[in-house]
Amino acid sequence: MTGFLVKMAWRETRAAWRHFLYFLVCIAIGVGALTGVSLFGTQVERTVTKEARGLLGGDLEIRLSRPMSSQGQEVLDSLGERGIEHTHVSELVAMAARADPVSGGQPTQIVELKAVEAQYPLYGSLRIEPDTKLGELLRQQDQDCSGHACFGVVVQESLLIRMGLSVGDWLKIGQAQFVIKGVVRTEPDRMANAFSLGPRVLMSQEGLRSAELVKIGSRVRERFLLKLPSIIPPDPLLYELRGRLAPDSARVSSYREAQPQLKQSLEQLTRYLGLIGLTALFVGGLGVATSVHAFVREKLNTIAILKTVGADSQTIVLTYGLQALMLGLVGSLVGLLIGIVLHLGLPWVIAAVMASDLLDQLGFANGGMGLSLPPLLKGLALGMLSTLLFTLWPLLTIREVKPARIFRREVASSAPMPSSERTRWWSSWRDLDRIKLVVAIGIGLGLALLSIWQAGAWRVGLLFILAFAGAVLLLGTSAHIALLAVKKWPRPEQLALRQAVGNVIRPGSQAVSITIAIGIGVMVVTTVSLVERSLLAQVGENRPTDSPTFFFIDIQPDQADGMVSLLRQRSGDPTPQLTPLVRSRLSAVKDEPVKFEPTSEEDEQRETSAQKEERRRKWFQTREYVLTFLQDLPKDNKVVQGEWWKPGQALSKPLISIEEDAAKQLGVTVGDTIELDIQGAPITGEISSIRSVEWGNLSTNFFMIVSPGALEGAPHTYVATVRVAPSEEVPLQQAVVASFPNVTAINIGDVLDSFARVLDRLSLAIRAVALFCVLSGVLVMAAALAATRYRRLYESVILKALGATRGVIARSFALEYAMLGALGGLLGIALASALSWVVLETVFDLSWNLHAGVLAMGFVATVTLTLVVGFLSTYRILGQPPLAVLRQE
Amino acid sequence: MITVTDVSMVLAAGGRSVTILDRINFEISAKQTVAIVGPSGSGKSTLLGLMAGLDRPSSGSIHLDGTDITTMAESRMARFRREKVGYIFQSFHLIPTLTAIENVAVPLELSGESRAGDRAADLLSAVGLSDRMGHYPVQLSGGEQQRVAVARAFACRPPILLADEPTGNLDSATGSHIVELLLALHRDHGTTLVLVTHDTTLASSMQRVLSLRDGRLESDSMPSNSSFVDDMSTDSRKSNRLSSTESAFQFGS
Repeated sequence: MTGFLVKMAWRETRAAWRHFLYFLVCIAIGVGALTGVSLFGTQVERTVTKEARGLLGGDLEIRLSRPMSSQGQEVLDSLGERGIEHTHVSELVAMAARADPVSGGQPTQIVELKAVEAQYPLYGSLRIEPDTKLGELLRQQDQDCSGHACFGVVVQESLLIRMGLSVGDWLKIGQAQFVIKGVVRTEPDRMANAFSLGPRVLMSQEGLRSAELVKIGSRVRERFLLKLPSIIPPDPLLYELRGRLAPDSARVSSYREAQPQLKQSLEQLTRYLGLIGLTALFVGGLGVATSVHAFVREKLNTIAILKTVGADSQTIVLTYGLQALMLGLVGSLVGLLIGIVLHLGLPWVIAAVMASDLLDQLGFANGGMGLSLPPLLKGLALGMLSTLLFTLWPLLTIREVKPARIFRREVASSAPMPSSERTRWWSSWRDLDRIKLVVAIGIGLGLALLSIWQAGAWRVGLLFILAFAGAVLLLGTSAHIALLAVKKWPRPEQLALRQAVGNVIRPGSQAVSITIAIGIGVMVVTTVSLVERSLLAQVGENRPTDSPTFFFIDIQPDQADGMVSLLRQRSGDPTPQLTPLVRSRLSAVKDEPVKFEPTSEEDEQRETSAQKEERRRKWFQTREYVLTFLQDLPKDNKVVQGEWWKPGQALSKPLISIEEDAAKQLGVTVGDTIELDIQGAPITGEISSIRSVEWGNLSTNFFMIVSPGALEGAPHTYVATVRVAPSEEVPLQQAVVASFPNVTAINIGDVLDSFARVLDRLSLAIRAVALFCVLSGVLVMAAALAATRYRRLYESVILKALGATRGVIARSFALEYAMLGALGGLLGIALASALSWVVLETVFDLSWNLHAGVLAMGFVATVTLTLVVGFLSTYRILGQPPLAVLRQE
Repeated sequence: MITVTDVSMVLAAGGRSVTILDRINFEISAKQTVAIVGPSGSGKSTLLGLMAGLDRPSSGSIHLDGTDITTMAESRMARFRREKVGYIFQSFHLIPTLTAIENVAVPLELSGESRAGDRAADLLSAVGLSDRMGHYPVQLSGGEQQRVAVARAFACRPPILLADEPTGNLDSATGSHIVELLLALHRDHGTTLVLVTHDTTLASSMQRVLSLRDGRLESDSMPSNSSFVDDMSTDSRKSNRLSSTESAFQFGS
């Protein structure tokens, strides 16, 4: 019997491979998208794992937001006795100014400064040009910089371009001058973050000290990277250091746990890209189902003959099932090739649209484009399994083919006459085809399992398959209703239109499946566009008109007056706003000490297994809080509970006003106490009010505001916000940098632009994968049209014989495709609006806006695409001479 | 061999019920040759199809070789048909995607016969198509297609051959060649032969003629006339050719 199955399946494939071309491509496209994404994901994950130490910069990292105390420094120094190497890295944003202001290019530029020691980097490789020892380049230079001793710096090329400088030129940062000695290409521990405030400047710790940028309260990240001898296991030391460095509020992490964060975000990206790929595969699956359905219809006679000569239904179902699997295998293999090509082509794409240093960091550039087996096998399995699941249902109709159809086609059915009694639900339940029921449940379960497998998480997988099923159901039902409505209308007078309408609503028309396939493709792409547009609008277009142009940070108390007068003079704003900032951490909530970081393995495990909500609460507990003390309630803040302090109110103890979400996460309310650690000094305050904050207004907003006077004497800096005309931006920045070299000017416009760029790149990646869904949808349409090719040919030939011109027939086809496109497009963009609303509301917490342009573009593109595809798959029919076709009948 | 008891067939067509067969009763003994005749729409083909188990009657029962096929499950029926019944159609109904030899091999392969290809080749040689084995149905003439169909129907050596207007789509010369083939099978292997026909000459060459009209059995006659004997002798003469090829492949042995 197996012999028969294989032989027959092969013979049928041999005869009908043309018919299955669409089948193959449908599977190939889906598998290709999936495989491409997962190959990329695997590559990234492998690199991240392999380069874990390099990406962190050490086996362990100690991070502080203020300089290390002397006790802490002692702890660090004592590590040397155990053979542990360490190096100190300081990171901060600062302003760089051209020493010679005459030449072209920007005179000042915000930079991300990184001060290192000669041992840097402990792990990973730093690529610099010229290829000399870093310490050599950064040391104090022999030559003078206009009379001062100066250090060398190595900078990112973009700084040179923006400021019109070249290697050998001077640069002023803070109080010191530096010589640009080289260009940095990649740093191991600069996370592959597409988002940055400015180009990198590498200097030595001595250089940083000479610039006098780090003052009390300055925004600086101090990192101490540790390299352990191989005999010392990292984990015990990690917990030991967490305990010993707790007074410094230091965060200690090991390369093993630091990576999960990067990994997690990359994993999430590949997971969602993978799900979009799966959507493409499932849409292609609809095409496969259509293809098989049409094939079985074509094969009704053969099936009946086979039954006549003694084949039972099971044998025939198995035969065609096997055939489908063989095709699924070929399609999946082609898909793997597509995936590999995508994967190998990716570096060029990334290099073209994104920064090339990203590639370096992900290990793509240095010949690291490895192919790993698991994603390929997974792609193959997903392709084969979805083929199986999507062909089962249409194959079941084989069972219903009666051999009798061969000699009696004119009779509708051989079913006994239905009794005139009303059918009751239980009798319809009794008549229900059990096998169909079981198969339907099996298909549903199978698809759900595939989704869960691809998503790598139960919840996400189930959510995905439910959403997919919901979309299919909605599209199917809406298409049915639309077709019914068209049926009810009187037939149009005009021949071409009547013919087109007739083709769409005729029995056995594939309009519904075409609508579903196209609708889903359009939905995915449009949703991505809508979400992106809303996010961009949020960061860009919806910017409040009175939002500031600049944030000036790290203004020292003794610079405050000077800054105010400079801003008043330069910006025309009579009362520039200066807000005091105090850096702090929570040390206790409601008298319960906040456990900063797990100091034992058990704690660690408990924490990693914690739910998302729990982790969010933890984040609120352990984050750094930038506080301010204010007399008046800031604008766009509303007290929702308790009372704001009154001017001149005598306060027995410090009062705190807390933002509502933070209050919720910390589980505090009015009257509770909070203990804060302000650079080592504890302060206990009582919550007197809870505020709602409009975070989107781009002003200085705070989770916690302390009553004035309570932070007297605490180390603080000021932040100034100012709004100036665009033409004033550069001169103002220049003037501030000249007068206050330690103050950093952050241009909101630049930040938002940079954020928009990141968003743009991200959405480009997502859209690229989403396009595969559209491709699948289009293929499904082409497959469905191919299935009706003969009928079309026959009808068009009859019309021609009756005197219709080629133009009339072409017009009727065009109208038909336009109708299909319009229906699919309309439903697709409607669903996209709904879906984007859900995504924006739940994921991004943003309100949904109508983007008529995006919707209109989606609609027009869909109609155009269906016209093109329809035309391509049927234009040959137009040229057929009638007699040749009719003679064959 | 074949017992038809009270068989009726009522079908739904265009929302009305149509009685195709109305309480038909007859019995056909083994090795008999029977013609079923009647005007168009009298239910001949439906009756033949029911006898092959291709459909179920609305009421009544049909026994083949002592087995009631009207209550048989579909898949059992298919296997039963494979062993007991060969079926030949007016319009041949070869599988268009298979070559001649593959068409003949299908029932053999379904039975799990190990040398299906060889035997199919022998069968095709026996019907005089040894040089057309690799041709697809569209590349064969009507007569050739029907010969392939005969070879296919007889592939598993069924004791019963049912033929639905086997010559209906063929010219008379080709048609008579097909009839010769069928009669040779009856003569050499004792195959019970039941055929539906419009052709009175063909009908009279059978041992027994069942006549249908409006779904009822109108007459059941034994044309004991000379034409039967004549025809038989003609058949014998004509089938000498077939007998000679028979030695080469042992049709049905």
